[in-house]
Amino acid sequence: MLIPYTWLRSYVDSELSPDVLAERLTMAGLEVDRVVYGKANLATGELDTWDGIVTAEIVWLEPIKGSDHLNATRVTTGDGKELSVVCGAPNIRLHDRVPLATLGAKVGGITIAEKKKMGVLSQGMLCSPRELGLSDDHSGIYILPPDTPLGVPLAQIVGEPVIDLDIKAHRGDLFCVTGVAREVSAFTGKELHLPQTALREKGTAANKLMKLEVRDADLCPRYTARVVRGVKIGPSPQWLAERLILAGMRPINNVVDVTNYVMLELGQPLHAFDYDKVADHTIIVRRADPGETLTTLDSVTRQLTPEMLLITDPAGPNVIAGIFGGERVEVDDNTTNLILEAAHFKPTNVRRTSVTLGLRTESSGRFEKNPDIELTAIAIDRAAHLITELAGGEVARGRLDFYPEPVTPREIPFLPSQVEWLTGMTVTRNECIENLQGLGFGVRDGGEGADEALLVTVPTWRGDVEESADLVEEVARIAGFDRIPSTIPVGPLPEPLPDDWFAREDRIRDILVGAGLTEILTYSLTNRLTMAKLLRGADAGEELLLTAPVTGADERDTGNATNGAITTTAASTRALERRQIEAIAERLPAITLRNPLSTELDSLRLTLMSGLLNTIRENSKHEDTGLWLFELGRRYLPTPELADGTGGAQERRTLGIALAGPLAHTWLGDDRDADFYDLKGIAETLLDGLMVARYRFVPAQHPTFHPGRCARLEVAMISDEAAGQSAGATPAEVIWKTVAVLGEVHPEVADRFDLSERTYLLEMDLERLFSVVPEVVKHAAIPRYPAAQRDLAVLVAADAPAAEVSETIQAGGGALVRDVRLFDVYTGEGVPEGKKSLAFALTYQAPDRTLTDQEIEKTQAAILSALRQRFGAKLRG
Amino acid sequence: MATELSEQELALADVRQRAVADLEQIGTTEDLEEWRTRYFGRERGEVSAILKGLGKLPPEQRKAVGQAANALKAELEGLMEARGQELRAAERLAALDRERLDVTLPGRRAARGHIHPISQTIRDISRIFRLMGFQTLDGPEVETDYYNFQALNIPVDHPARDMQDTFWVVPGQILLRTQTSNNQIRIMEQVRPPVRAIVPGKVYRHEAIDASHEAMFHQVEGILVDETCTMSDLRGVVTRFAREMFGANRKVRFRPSYFPFTEPSAEFDIDCIVCDGKGCRVCKYSGWLEMGGSGMVDPRVLRGVGYDPTIYRGFAFGLGIERIAMLRYGIDEIRLFSGNDLRFLRQFT
Repeated sequence: MLIPYTWLRSYVDSELSPDVLAERLTMAGLEVDRVVYGKANLATGELDTWDGIVTAEIVWLEPIKGSDHLNATRVTTGDGKELSVVCGAPNIRLHDRVPLATLGAKVGGITIAEKKKMGVLSQGMLCSPRELGLSDDHSGIYILPPDTPLGVPLAQIVGEPVIDLDIKAHRGDLFCVTGVAREVSAFTGKELHLPQTALREKGTAANKLMKLEVRDADLCPRYTARVVRGVKIGPSPQWLAERLILAGMRPINNVVDVTNYVMLELGQPLHAFDYDKVADHTIIVRRADPGETLTTLDSVTRQLTPEMLLITDPAGPNVIAGIFGGERVEVDDNTTNLILEAAHFKPTNVRRTSVTLGLRTESSGRFEKNPDIELTAIAIDRAAHLITELAGGEVARGRLDFYPEPVTPREIPFLPSQVEWLTGMTVTRNECIENLQGLGFGVRDGGEGADEALLVTVPTWRGDVEESADLVEEVARIAGFDRIPSTIPVGPLPEPLPDDWFAREDRIRDILVGAGLTEILTYSLTNRLTMAKLLRGADAGEELLLTAPVTGADERDTGNATNGAITTTAASTRALERRQIEAIAERLPAITLRNPLSTELDSLRLTLMSGLLNTIRENSKHEDTGLWLFELGRRYLPTPELADGTGGAQERRTLGIALAGPLAHTWLGDDRDADFYDLKGIAETLLDGLMVARYRFVPAQHPTFHPGRCARLEVAMISDEAAGQSAGATPAEVIWKTVAVLGEVHPEVADRFDLSERTYLLEMDLERLFSVVPEVVKHAAIPRYPAAQRDLAVLVAADAPAAEVSETIQAGGGALVRDVRLFDVYTGEGVPEGKKSLAFALTYQAPDRTLTDQEIEKTQAAILSALRQRFGAKLRG
Repeated sequence: MATELSEQELALADVRQRAVADLEQIGTTEDLEEWRTRYFGRERGEVSAILKGLGKLPPEQRKAVGQAANALKAELEGLMEARGQELRAAERLAALDRERLDVTLPGRRAARGHIHPISQTIRDISRIFRLMGFQTLDGPEVETDYYNFQALNIPVDHPARDMQDTFWVVPGQILLRTQTSNNQIRIMEQVRPPVRAIVPGKVYRHEAIDASHEAMFHQVEGILVDETCTMSDLRGVVTRFAREMFGANRKVRFRPSYFPFTEPSAEFDIDCIVCDGKGCRVCKYSGWLEMGGSGMVDPRVLRGVGYDPTIYRGFAFGLGIERIAMLRYGIDEIRLFSGNDLRFLRQFT
């Protein structure tokens, strides 16, 4: 909202300078974006602000040899530097102060650039009044008074200040100069002078000249009209045109300009119709008929719906109420008789229509912010008066005023002590009364409760003030928020949190950063195709993206399909693969936005994997180490509530990890590309760090991963029944729950993501994980009796899972075996084909005694026997 | 007689002279051992031989020669010890010198990654508010129109909706939250006062992405409700926050503003951390940086969640996390946060 400073000052006696006023307005809650300086240019209808043109002094001047008129000058803007400028004007003298267009400034449509004239550098341009649009004078440079400050934008010297306010939506009363003036009056205590109208009516009564019919009063609670006859359309006088331009509007003709002027002055949008073009001189306010259209002044034909309100006449629609006019009944140069309209339309309806049509106008912006319904009569009188002053003619007697339910001003009981109760600042009862009265509120003793109670009448333009807290704000902001003290709350603290997810995620973050991983944060928005690229295989889809891996995955992969083709070219394979990805993408249960910014970001992610892989690829273009990344974020799964609009998504807190290449290059020769066991080790480190007692990795199949290098991470849950019975659950009562899938990215998937290196990926569901993370770890006594070490190397089948061998050792050894650690896996010389040697270090220890050799040997034998039975294992000699 | 030296005495003098001379030539502890054997060896050591020969001397000479021989033994042993110490020190030094490392070679670093600057900022914010008794909570991002707008006193068709362009999942019903303020309602619905919580998280706006605008960014919402707090406590809390985050002497300015869900409402600014309030490009020459919005929880909002606004008072505030991180780290391009370029991420802790 642009408020010209001098126009504002015409309503309030404030002596504050533009900058101080801007500061005071901001501190009263009317945020000033900036103070603009400019001059209304009547020729262009625009505000000249002369960006880049500043005041400068000529400090050196010499004619250029070989030129009959060019001078070389050096000028300064007072910053201690000098610029070389070539100038051809005859009137400049040493020490003249002049407007300097600096490099990049625009003068007469030309952008000033550095150039050479007659071999002399010119780093700017000195301007004439005509070049500046100040007058037609082009006889020489515009010479400024000798006391002009240097380095100041020219606009501040020759322009007028305009305060650019960011008015918030609830203050419909502030979208006009008088509204802002009222605020200034309130916080300065200076008197407010509202414009006075001395309207003289003549001749026939207006209601004999026209008819008014409001059919939809719910959308039009008030409609006021006047008739003005015998006007002469012409240009507005300079003072009015300048004010309009300063406020950002373009002058059109005296009648239209008056309606705009009164809108800017009082906040009431007005409309002028050509009386003689309105069919039957009858205004009908009604909802649009289905299928009705209106060609608006911008020559666009608008499709209307019955939710939209129209100003019509018996011949059809004329105006989309409160928003935009049509061509048929507009005022033109030959208009002599007018119907003036000042109405109040239902704000939400104006807003909805305006949003639907994508039409925002000065008028609709004001109507949707609920202007004062009492204003229509005041504004129409003001406009009729100004029109007769500027365009001649006479105002017909009387107003037509449809206003079936006049509003009664709201009354609010108010305790001045509420100001301190809510804000902590002390304000006296008298100050409350003064501040409220200054804003136009009526205040008298009364209300309920204490003696101090007041009864406050809310002016009709303050629809935003509904109750006591709103009055507290009014009192406090006029008093000044800088009077609010600064204290620390002393109230009681809330109960501790049961699930502190913030702390949980922070623990994970610390562990992973300590393991060398770097945290990334990708968009939660992605698209289905990107996610579908993770899924190999024609039948993959749906649940496959979720953390839970799918065993017995679909084997009819793309290979089989392409083998059937007669000619298999790389291109046709790609085309086929593309179709398969698209088919999967369609089936993904991703939540999709109805109004995405782009198709790239139209769906919420179902997985963190694609974001991780994309980040690996982008970074691999310039990094060859440290592509060890993780992300903590949510996956968004659909729910039935979401589908019917009653609830949100299932937002699963998730950890994703991706590794590719070496963690770092060193001179020590220990560089190594990431492999499966790095990833698994990180998972193990994490689980150990979170004190997860029992977990295991199980070979798995998943459409994203290498079939032989994929595992499911399971944690042991104690079943409810078992947990209820005793602390130590037996293995039979353990339920293994999948919390993560991890593995090497399948080469086909890697190709789709343009990954150049083997990449390892993990996705973990944190809500499942934290169901087994203990709140606190119980201490166990340090063993008092010595431990004994025994090694055990056995030959087993090459494909026997080491974890199962280890579990068998633990189970066979029972309570005496405290620890089983695999320390060597060997195939090759001395080991038969199809076999491998696994060497374990066993730690024997009992809590209550020193174990004897006999006990240990007996246990070793039992272990070996169990291994023999289960794996056909042989002791390796 | 007294001036005439005995044969033995001459022999002792000779041994001494040679032993001392030899000792001076010795360069290693091994040679020293050889020297010891030569003079003190049980079998063939020269000093040992003299001592052994004492018995054969006439008794009148035995005492004098014996004393002289023992004195020589003690002297030579003393010299040997001293020489031995010197040699061992020199040899240790030489051995250590052979182990000399180039200490300027890079160390064998323990693996250490980097926390994303947004996470780090949230962590710091959370720590500061924890000092003041605030818990850190979270809430849903896919949200109903009710929690994101209506319960916050922003009915359908309210012009305030223009301030927050919305991504819709189900138009008019389900959206991506445009502000973390949705959690004000969710928290107050779940617990009775006292409430002291902050809620950091992602928010979404349907806005064109450029150097200072993202369609997804982070906010932190704070809320405190009890029977005693006032706007001065709000001011104290945000002032403390600003000083913990941006330096002990920061000035905080409160300006009246408008949010549909607070009354009175205030925006708070801090004096520019770049120019200390003198005016610069970062603060657009105003001397102030906008920090966030705040206010006393609107009585309509309190009633909506079943809190009696004549008993309970509350305040709420919201901060932009990217903005805080950009100011702290001197970042002028918001897209760096979602760009995940390691050259950027490695610059942080």
